[in-house]
Amino acid sequence: MTTPVLSVRDLTVSFPSEAGRVDAVRGVSFDLDEGRTLGIVGESGSGKSVTSLAVMGLLDDNARVGGSVMFEGQELLGKTDAAMSKIRGNGIAMIFQDPLTSLTPVFSVGDQIVEALTIHDPKISRRAARDRAVELLRLVGIPRPAERMRSFPHEFSGGMRQRVVIAIAMANNPRLIIADEPTTALDVTIQAQILDLVATAQRETGAAVMMITHDMGVVAHTADDVIVMYAGRPIEQAPVDELFADTRMPYSIGLLGAIPRVDKAEKQPLVPIKGSPPLLVDLPDACPFAARCPIAVDACRTSEPELVAVGGRPDHRAACLRAEEIRAGRIDGGPVYPVPPVPTSTLETVPRELRRPTLEVENLTKSFPLTKGSFRKRKIGEVHAVKGVSFDVREGETMAIVGESGSGKTTTLLQIMDFARQDAGDIRIVGTSVADIKGGRAERDLRRDVQIVFQDPVGSLDPRMTVFDVIAEPLRTVGLAAAEVGPRVDELMDLVGLDPAHSDRFPAAFSGGQRQRIGIARALATNPKLVVLDEPVSALDVSVQAGVINLLDELKVRLGLSYLFVAHDLSVVRHIADRVAVMYLGSFVEHGDVDAVFDDPQHPYTRALLSAIPVPDPVTERGREHIVLTGDLPSPTDTITGCAFVSRCPLYQTLDEPDRARCEQTVPTLTGRTDDHVNACHFR
Amino acid sequence: MVVAVTNLTYLLAWAYLDPRSNYVGRRPPLSETQITNLLEPRNLDDATPLLERWWTWFSGILFRWDWGVSPTGQSVNEQVAYRMWISAELMLGATILLTAIGIALGVYSASRQYRLGDRIAQGTSIITMNIPIVVAGLGLVLLAIAFNNAVGSTVFYVTGASSPDVSGFFPTLVDTAQHIALPTAALILVGYAQYHFLQRSLLLDTIKSDYVRMARAKGLTKQQAIRKHALRTSLIPVTTQVAFSIPGIFTGAVLTESIFAWKGMGQYFIETISKNDINGVVAVAAFGAVMTAVGAILADIAVVALDPRVRVS
Repeated sequence: MTTPVLSVRDLTVSFPSEAGRVDAVRGVSFDLDEGRTLGIVGESGSGKSVTSLAVMGLLDDNARVGGSVMFEGQELLGKTDAAMSKIRGNGIAMIFQDPLTSLTPVFSVGDQIVEALTIHDPKISRRAARDRAVELLRLVGIPRPAERMRSFPHEFSGGMRQRVVIAIAMANNPRLIIADEPTTALDVTIQAQILDLVATAQRETGAAVMMITHDMGVVAHTADDVIVMYAGRPIEQAPVDELFADTRMPYSIGLLGAIPRVDKAEKQPLVPIKGSPPLLVDLPDACPFAARCPIAVDACRTSEPELVAVGGRPDHRAACLRAEEIRAGRIDGGPVYPVPPVPTSTLETVPRELRRPTLEVENLTKSFPLTKGSFRKRKIGEVHAVKGVSFDVREGETMAIVGESGSGKTTTLLQIMDFARQDAGDIRIVGTSVADIKGGRAERDLRRDVQIVFQDPVGSLDPRMTVFDVIAEPLRTVGLAAAEVGPRVDELMDLVGLDPAHSDRFPAAFSGGQRQRIGIARALATNPKLVVLDEPVSALDVSVQAGVINLLDELKVRLGLSYLFVAHDLSVVRHIADRVAVMYLGSFVEHGDVDAVFDDPQHPYTRALLSAIPVPDPVTERGREHIVLTGDLPSPTDTITGCAFVSRCPLYQTLDEPDRARCEQTVPTLTGRTDDHVNACHFR
Repeated sequence: MVVAVTNLTYLLAWAYLDPRSNYVGRRPPLSETQITNLLEPRNLDDATPLLERWWTWFSGILFRWDWGVSPTGQSVNEQVAYRMWISAELMLGATILLTAIGIALGVYSASRQYRLGDRIAQGTSIITMNIPIVVAGLGLVLLAIAFNNAVGSTVFYVTGASSPDVSGFFPTLVDTAQHIALPTAALILVGYAQYHFLQRSLLLDTIKSDYVRMARAKGLTKQQAIRKHALRTSLIPVTTQVAFSIPGIFTGAVLTESIFAWKGMGQYFIETISKNDINGVVAVAAFGAVMTAVGAILADIAVVALDPRVRVS
C-alpha cells in the first residue's frame, strides 16, 4: 500500500469574529492518492474553500487551525511561512476561482510564470526558465506562446487568464493540484476547455487533484471520490458513482434534487431545501441540517451525528442517524423530499398561436460607436451589440435567451426596457409600439406592463430603504392611493413567500434568496404583463435557487405572466422556459421550442453549448461526448463578413473548399424545417 | 494654461496691491510726482493705463524674458533664479527622504497590521503629523543648540543656507549638510506621516487581493509577495500624489524657510506680497503654475512606468 499524497485528519479551522468564534471547518478527514481526483462540494459558507486554504497554509494569521495535514509524509500544519513557501507552488499548486483578479496586473504573464520557476529553482538559467514558460503556455493552449509571454494579463480574456494560472500551477510538476472553483467565473464553453485542461495537467504531472466546486455536474465530470460539506463538516463521503446512485444523507439528496437537468425534458418542479445554512457561531450539539431536514427526528437535535460507514461499505460514509433507512434518496417507500405539486395553467391548453403576444420584437439592432482621440472624438467604427433580432413572447409563456458573456443578451433586454425606438424595426409591448409613445405619461403607463428583476440581489436593493419602501416605491410611482399601498405590499410579500411582518426590515437582514424574492415582489407590484428576468438565479446557491425557480413557475401560472428570461445556465433555461433562443455575437443562431432545441439542436454552436454542460450523473456523464470549442468569442469590433461562428465552428472544419467559402462570405439566415424551430447555419 | 494663469494673476495683483503705498509715510515725505518718477520707469505706476502697463510687462517677458523689477529696482529674474535653487536644495532632498520614509513605514506597518510594530508606528505618525511646523522647527533648533553646546562646536547651523566664507568642493558639501540638516529634519518630521498612512491603507487593500494570494501559492513567502506583487500596484496612487506635491515643494515651505532663514521661493512669496512687488508676485505664481504642470507630467510618466494597463498600444 502506498502512502497517500495528502492525508487530512480532523482538520478544524476557526476565526475570531465580533459575534464570537466562527468554526468554519469542523473535522474534515480524507486521504487523496496519486492521480486521483477528490471533489469537495458544498454551498457558500460550507467551509470547502477554507479547507483548501488551510492545506496551502494561506489562511489569515488570525485563523486557528487544528488537526493534521500530512503531505507526502510531512506534517504541514505548524510549518513557518518560509518552510511552507518551499512546498507551495512546488509540491502543492493551486488554481483560484477568479482568473480576472488572480494575476498581478503590472507584470507580464511571462514574468509571472518564470517567477514560479525561479523561486523554487534559483539555479535555473533565465533562458531555460523562459523556454519552459513558453512550453507551458503552449501546453495550456495559448496560441503564439512566445509572443504572448510579453503580454500583460489585461490583454487576455478570462478563459486565457485561467489557462495562464493553470500553466503556473503546472510549472513545477506538483504532486497535488488544488482547484478552487476553477470554472465558476467562466462561460460554459470555456468551462469545458478548462476542465479538459485540468485533466491534461493531471495526466502530464500525475498529480492528485482536489476539485472544490458547488456544481454537481463538474463533480460528476471530474471526481473519483466526493465529499459533501455542510456547515463546516463533511456530511457524506463516497466514491462518485456510489454517491450519485445511493445518496444517503438528506442534504446531499436535496442538493441533487434541487438542480435542474439539461438532458431531461420532464417538467416536474425542483425540490428546494427549505431555509438557509446555519451561522457557524456557537453551534449547538445537534445535526446542523436538522432545521431544514424533512425527515428529522428528535434524536437529530440532541447530538451531532458522526460520519460513519453506511450500507456495509467502508468507503461510503454519511453523517446521518437515519442513513441506513435511506436508500437511493428514498425512505419508507417514498422520496425523502415531498415533491411539490406541479402548477398547471389554463393557458397551457390554448395553442400558442391563439394566445395574445405580450412582447413582439422585430429586427432589434443596437450598435455602439467606437471613438478615437482624447479631445475630439472621431468615430472610427461601430460595435454591433445586437444585430437584427426578432422574436415574440406570448401570454403565459417564458422565452429564454441564452448565450455566453458578450453575446448581447443583456443589451437586448436593456433595449426593450428602454423602449428604444428602432430605425428599421419595432418593439411592441402588449400591442403598443414604442414608436407611438408620446410624452412621459404614456411611457409610464406602458412601464407598468413591463418590469425587471436583476441578477444581483444585493446590488439591486437600496440598502437604506426598508423592504416596505422598496416594494411600495413602484406603487407610489404609478399613483396608488396611500391607504392601498400597505395592504398591497403585504399581499405581495405573501405572494413571494415572505412574512409580511418583516416588511419593516432592511434588505441586509435577508438572505440572498429572500432578497431575490423581494426583487420579484417589487417587479410584480404594478401587475405587469411581462417580467424581464436578467439572470435571476445565477447569484444564488443551488438549494436556494430551486426555491426561486419554483416561485417563478408558480407565479407565472397564478398571475398569467410572461417572462423574458436571460441566462447562461442552460439547465435552468431548460427547466423554466417554453421557448428558447441561442444568441451568438448579437444574433440568434437558433430559436424554437425549448424541447425541440435541447433535444434536437441544429446549429453547431447550440450543440457545443449543450454538450459542454456537465450533467450531474457520473454514469451518463462518462458516456457523453463533449464538443469542446476552441478559442474565445471573437471581439465584436472585428468585421465579420459571413457566419460569425466560423472561427470556432467544428462543422466548418469538416467542410470542403466551396462550402467553406460560403460560410466565410454569406451571412446565414434563420431558416428551418419548420417555421417554429429555426437555425442560422447554411448546412443544417 | 500657464500663460492664462500668469496674466490673470497680473491683473488680480494690480487690483489688490498698490506699490505707491510703499512710499506713503516716508520721512521726508515724497511728493506724488516724485513717487511717480520712481515707479514709472519700473512699470509700476498706476497712473499709466492698466492695458499699457500690462503690455509693457507682457511684451517684456515675451521678447526679452524680462519679468520686470521690484519697486526697489531689483530684477525679478535674478531673484527667482537664485531662490529657486535654494528652495530646490532644501525641498528636493526633504521630499525624497520623507516619501521614502513614509512608504517604507507604510510597508512595514501594513505587513504587520495590528501588531505592536504597526501600532507604535501609527501612533508616532499621528503625533508627528499634528505637530505644527513652527513647533517642530523651533524644537529642533533648541535641540541642535543644546547639542552644539554639549559637543562644544557648531555641528548644526540653525540659520541660513550656507556660510559666506567657504570654498572648495568638500568644505562646501560639509557646510551645506550642516545647514540643511535641521530644516530637512523638520520637514520630514511633519510630512512623512501622510505617505505612511496612504501607503499603509493602499497596501492593505492589495495584500488581501487574489493576486497576492496567488503569488504566495506560487511559493513566495508573505514578505516576498508583498514586496514584489503588492507594493508595485499600491505605489501607483502614491506616486501620483507625490508628483502633484512638487509645486508645494517650491512655494509651500514658507514657514520652514522663515524659521531657518533660508531665502527660498516661499519666503520670496511672502516678501513680494508684503512689499507690493507686483512683478515678483506674478513671477512666483507663474513659477507655481509651471511646477504644477511639471508635476502632472511627472505623475503621468510615473504611472505609465508602473502600470502597463495605461500604456497606449
